[in-house]
Amino acid sequence: MSGLRLRAIAEFLMRRGFLVVFIIVFLFFSVVTRHFFELDNLLNILSAMAPLAIAAAGLALVVMSGRLDISIGSIAFLSCAIGALLMRANGLSPVLAALIVVGCGALLGAINAFIVVVLRVNSLIATLSTMIAYRGIALQLTDALLVQLPPDVRFIGNARIGPIPVDILLMFLVVILVHLLQSRTVFGRRIMAMGNDISVARRLGLPVDLTGFNTFVLSGVLASLGGILTTIQNGAVSPFLGSGWEFTALAAIVVGGISLLGGRGTIFFSVLPGVFIFEMIRNGLTNLSANPYSYRLVSGVVIFAAMYADALKSGQGLRSRILRSRT
Amino acid sequence: MSNSRTLLRMEGISKAYAGVAVLRDARLEAHGGEAIALIGANGAGKSTLMNILGGEVTPDHGRISIDGSEVAIRSAREAALKGIAFVHQELAMLPTLSVADNIFIDNLPTSGPFISTAEMKRRSRELLERLGSSVSPESRVEELSIGDRQLVEIARALRHQPQIIIFDEPTSSLTEPERRRLFKVISGLKAEGVVIIYITHFVDEIFSVCERVTIMRNGETVWSSPIGEVDPAKVVHLMLGVSAGEGRIREPMASQGESLLHVSGLSRSGILKDISFEIRAGEIVGLWGLLGSGRTELLRAMVGLDPIDNGTILWNGQNGVSKITPRQLHREVGFVTEDRRGEGIHLPLSIRDNLALPNLKSLLNHFHLIDTGRERALAQAMIGRLHIKASGQDQAVGTLSGGNQQKIVFGRWLAANPRLFLLDEPTRGLDVSAKSEIMRLIVDLANQGCGVLLVSSELEELMRVGDRYLVMNRGSLVDELAGSASAYELMAAIAESGEGNGSWR
Amino acid sequence: MLRRKLARYSDRSGSTTGRLPNNLTASRLVQWGSRVVLLAGMLILIEIYAPRFFRYQNVVNILLQVSLLGLMSIGMTVVMIAGGIDLSLPANMAMGAVLGAMYMRSGGNWMVSCFIMVATGGLVGLVNGIAVSRLKMIPFVVTLAMMTILAGSAVWLTNSLSISQISNAFLSLFNARPIFGIPMSIWLGAAVTVAATVLMRSTVFGRWVYAVGLNARAARVAGVPVDRVILISYVISGLMAGLTSILLTARLGSASANMGNDGVVLDIVSACVVGGVSIYGGSGRVPGAVFGAVLITVLSNAMNLIGVSYYLSLIIKGAVIIAFIATERGRREPNE
Repeated sequence: MSGLRLRAIAEFLMRRGFLVVFIIVFLFFSVVTRHFFELDNLLNILSAMAPLAIAAAGLALVVMSGRLDISIGSIAFLSCAIGALLMRANGLSPVLAALIVVGCGALLGAINAFIVVVLRVNSLIATLSTMIAYRGIALQLTDALLVQLPPDVRFIGNARIGPIPVDILLMFLVVILVHLLQSRTVFGRRIMAMGNDISVARRLGLPVDLTGFNTFVLSGVLASLGGILTTIQNGAVSPFLGSGWEFTALAAIVVGGISLLGGRGTIFFSVLPGVFIFEMIRNGLTNLSANPYSYRLVSGVVIFAAMYADALKSGQGLRSRILRSRT
Repeated sequence: MSNSRTLLRMEGISKAYAGVAVLRDARLEAHGGEAIALIGANGAGKSTLMNILGGEVTPDHGRISIDGSEVAIRSAREAALKGIAFVHQELAMLPTLSVADNIFIDNLPTSGPFISTAEMKRRSRELLERLGSSVSPESRVEELSIGDRQLVEIARALRHQPQIIIFDEPTSSLTEPERRRLFKVISGLKAEGVVIIYITHFVDEIFSVCERVTIMRNGETVWSSPIGEVDPAKVVHLMLGVSAGEGRIREPMASQGESLLHVSGLSRSGILKDISFEIRAGEIVGLWGLLGSGRTELLRAMVGLDPIDNGTILWNGQNGVSKITPRQLHREVGFVTEDRRGEGIHLPLSIRDNLALPNLKSLLNHFHLIDTGRERALAQAMIGRLHIKASGQDQAVGTLSGGNQQKIVFGRWLAANPRLFLLDEPTRGLDVSAKSEIMRLIVDLANQGCGVLLVSSELEELMRVGDRYLVMNRGSLVDELAGSASAYELMAAIAESGEGNGSWR
Repeated sequence: MLRRKLARYSDRSGSTTGRLPNNLTASRLVQWGSRVVLLAGMLILIEIYAPRFFRYQNVVNILLQVSLLGLMSIGMTVVMIAGGIDLSLPANMAMGAVLGAMYMRSGGNWMVSCFIMVATGGLVGLVNGIAVSRLKMIPFVVTLAMMTILAGSAVWLTNSLSISQISNAFLSLFNARPIFGIPMSIWLGAAVTVAATVLMRSTVFGRWVYAVGLNARAARVAGVPVDRVILISYVISGLMAGLTSILLTARLGSASANMGNDGVVLDIVSACVVGGVSIYGGSGRVPGAVFGAVLITVLSNAMNLIGVSYYLSLIIKGAVIIAFIATERGRREPNE
């Protein structure tokens, strides 16, 4: 039956699909644009993707636990806005400000956690609401204007260790840490257990609510870390900070192989390649001097395709899971 | 006489839900090193009794004592602490995690902040070897067969060094080699002095595994003795409490009616194998088999709720006999699912809304809008015809008793006057009088000329109405028996075909 | 402690205690009572702080906004009752408006333009519907991606500018005030509300939608064509977006990609939730959603008049949604 054939091809594409797409896109841009394949440009891509990669790592934890957090962009914005404003108004030291930003991130994440875990509101609706609410507060506080960082802090954006910029190193460090957290600690295992089947996890006596709560807090912390990085890179907190992060991060996660249904995937090998692809597309399109609005369109299509592949994959997995456990 | 073996005693256990007694003075006694079979028909109370032992249910009365001292078990956690492990029929597995993860998930060994995977694998391997399993601790559970998963579940239970292990219908999804392996495992556990409580439907199995047998019926313990004092026929008799032929609502009759439905070669890879049969007008065909035999899957495949790979369905409709698709058959028959609350009715909707749902197209007025007057009339008629006890047709179906809910399920289809009914466990979970009412309803339908294909796990029920029996086992139709067959013959029909059937999984 | 108290509110599937009907009525009374109180409270506040609110012109203005929000909320309601969600509604609306306006700008007939707007809406709805019902994709994800694509495309097409070459015939038709000086848009909105109410209450399709949203498995067993119902619900939502494009373009006299920004989605979801539509599906009514639209619109305007900043108003709306959902009776275990 041709249907089965198509299925087999589709299955193959899905398993290796990501790799195939990656290679195609990479080659495409390398060939078509002049400067794409140069080291400088590649480092650019890595630098540009660092903030989102960090935030995506946090989102990945939430997704693996079977939930969603689409407020990460707004958390990044709000927490950084607070830090930047405090620095400007009270001359706070950058280190202290950074700590406050992270603290805000944790608090905002905790609010999400409260709404989802304690009030038992669907995580999509809850974080949709907080996404808009947090952004609203931040816009209110900044009057939708740029908040410049004090001049002595701005230099950090260009810091390097050897030939490699600090932000790239930071990205690797954080993503590796989160990876270790997910794959080698009890907390990480519990997240995967929850994502597999939350009722079974409860039956087994796992502290499902506490674990869930902490994933949101962590997501908030990492989002704010990403925010700090992008603020440093830009030298200011822009009213567009974090805007669209949730979509791209979600897409990157799915494209990289983490299932939206939860319980599956790894951090390092999913988040980094996934975010890289999107940044690569943006970089490539810019190099081609393509219409700046085309990025949103292209990424939208890629997201759609990635989600479709995910749906197919989970559909397959679900069906085989059902077949196996039939009593 | 002092006994150094563990002694489990449950006495006088009673439990009632909403005034309906599920357990009445039930008792159980077991010694370490022996396996005791707990046998009973559906609804006999054995699962409830074990749930009490396992801490998931608290009894209204009665006491449980281990080694002479009374214990109170208020939660699954407490049960585990007291050395009681429960291997449920529905395994608590986390499919994407590894075997070792699944075994240790609620108590992962750590060194510092990280999980000591080496230690976890080592200990998992030890536990698995003890069970004679060669499964690697690193494999993901979703890649394992049910039999292997079951061993993982047992391994998890063994972590707590249990004195008592309860097995709930452990073999219903196993292949033959896996079953033999399980029996070996149980022997090994017995040798270590563990008390094994073995709940099963398969009467023949208990003779190879158990030393004692306790039989329950209607919430009471009706028999308890060493296994040597009974034989399969006696067990069946005690289980059902009524010998074949007694309690018949309608004597078996060879149908004179025309053939309504002819199914041939129905297959679905891994689930159904080449099923062919026929149903005639006015007859009640009992589809007999045990859990996992594929009866529900067959019915669902017939009406298109599940896909099929092959097969032909011939239907004798208004235009004569013609080949139809499962979807089309769905429109012609009355279909009662086994999952009453999940699929049979919409719990939050009213009686009226539920009854109307499949019949909406026939309740329209001139403007193609739903005529509320006719809707109400339909509901009223059904309530009357089926004697549904409710405060009114506006009452939410979710608040009705099980029996009345089941009547609603029937009521949904009756309005369309189908000629064939496919019924899957229509009396499951109902009390005795509700069961009788439903059975009488079924007989009425047959008397009026409808064909009925009735699936039930309760043999005594099938035997009250069946004109003939089709026996299923592991996805195939293995036998057909006349309506006059005895209970023992029917039980034997499954047991025999259970041997060496190989695995088409 | 709070958890245990709140746990009492969540329905464990299968309570046969017979207490349900009473609880249901009591809680529904409380929920609707609180809505009416909220509305009354706001009106009183407005009367105190800004009595000009009740001038005829302003009331008509409010009703106009309500029609627009209401139309989209009706679309969202149908999708929600069927158990899904459509985050692409505002973006769909903006896209339709942009396409229709572009057509008019290049000299096209305004009637064809209307058709384009509605057709765009319906087409987008169709794609959403196919993705969810046939391809079995998750509604949130599909409509989110669609929203991104549409928003991006709209911005691209218009170069971030608004299109104001709208045909006069178009404007004069939809801004006309034929009866009692009440604009066409409001009459249209009312007509659609009535039609949608009848659809959901008294047609076979309407019943099917509720059945699917409550329990798709049981609906399938009962012979409901579940996939088709879900598909059509998204098409309806898209058509509502298309209708709204027409009315909003007429009102503004121009079309831009910004017509469907983030805040609009929140307003629609708020209106539905406050109007008693459950995000889990199976319950809620069209008039309820329209009432929710009234509430949200009045709330927005009240906050505006009192001088609350736009951003703060977003926060308040977010909090309102959460409050209403958290106290919704018969919530099922959230698994996302």
